[in-house]
Amino acid sequence: MARFARLLREHPGAAPDLFTAVELAGCAGKRRWTEHLAARFAAKEAVLKALGTGLGPRMRWTDIEVANDPEGRPIVFLGGAVAARADACGFRQVCLSLTHTADFAIAQAAAVRGNNADLSWLARDGGTKAVDQCAFT
Amino acid sequence: MANEEFFPQVREAVAEALGLDEEEVTPDATLLDELGAESIDLLDMLFRLERTTGVKIQASDLASYVQGGIPDEEFGDEEKDVITPAGMTQLKTVMPQLVHLDLDGKLQPEKVMSYFTVQNLVDLVASRAATVSS
Repeated sequence: MARFARLLREHPGAAPDLFTAVELAGCAGKRRWTEHLAARFAAKEAVLKALGTGLGPRMRWTDIEVANDPEGRPIVFLGGAVAARADACGFRQVCLSLTHTADFAIAQAAAVRGNNADLSWLARDGGTKAVDQCAFT
Repeated sequence: MANEEFFPQVREAVAEALGLDEEEVTPDATLLDELGAESIDLLDMLFRLERTTGVKIQASDLASYVQGGIPDEEFGDEEKDVITPAGMTQLKTVMPQLVHLDLDGKLQPEKVMSYFTVQNLVDLVASRAATVSS
């Protein structure tokens, strides 16, 4: 967390390079906004690792946008070269979990090929809760 | 391909980003393995380099540089999980230190950047500076 805070502090141009306007607006005004942004950066890295690409040619950090659904759960939108690569590899969904403290930001991501129906085996109680949690790597 | 023009700025950026003495940042030191850089450190280096050299380098430009425009499916053999012969030829051009390492048919795509050195970064900065000025 300290390294990330230092990055933003010493390089004012970093935030718009790393985060979309939606992400910056979503974290603005929050008391621990650095933690929220750090968690989103960790999420972007986790997504890239789940896709098996790392930050490949022509990819931008802003090709991955982390937002929240109405229930507050993190959701991922892909665009640009990252979306093209995910599509070419057959990935149809990315599941995400975030947590952060004053010292650490941790993200777990799972990239899923196929559609939601393929995740039904995760729903032990027959509901949607287990499916939403997904399986994390 | 070895270039010395931007070595002082690269050495300073790497040392400051990683909290090292500049003497530890040698041209043949690998950024990720030997110097211990992580993604966030790489970003720090690139932002520092932009400030000192005026050359803007995106993190993904490193992958673009080593891959040299070769499409992903031609650069890496996904089935065998190794860099293709064409990919290795390209890599040895921009990362000449690989020539003597007997990695043909063995180098996994996810391992490529572990061989990326300080000198490779210097050459990348020089390459981008030349592109901007032309």
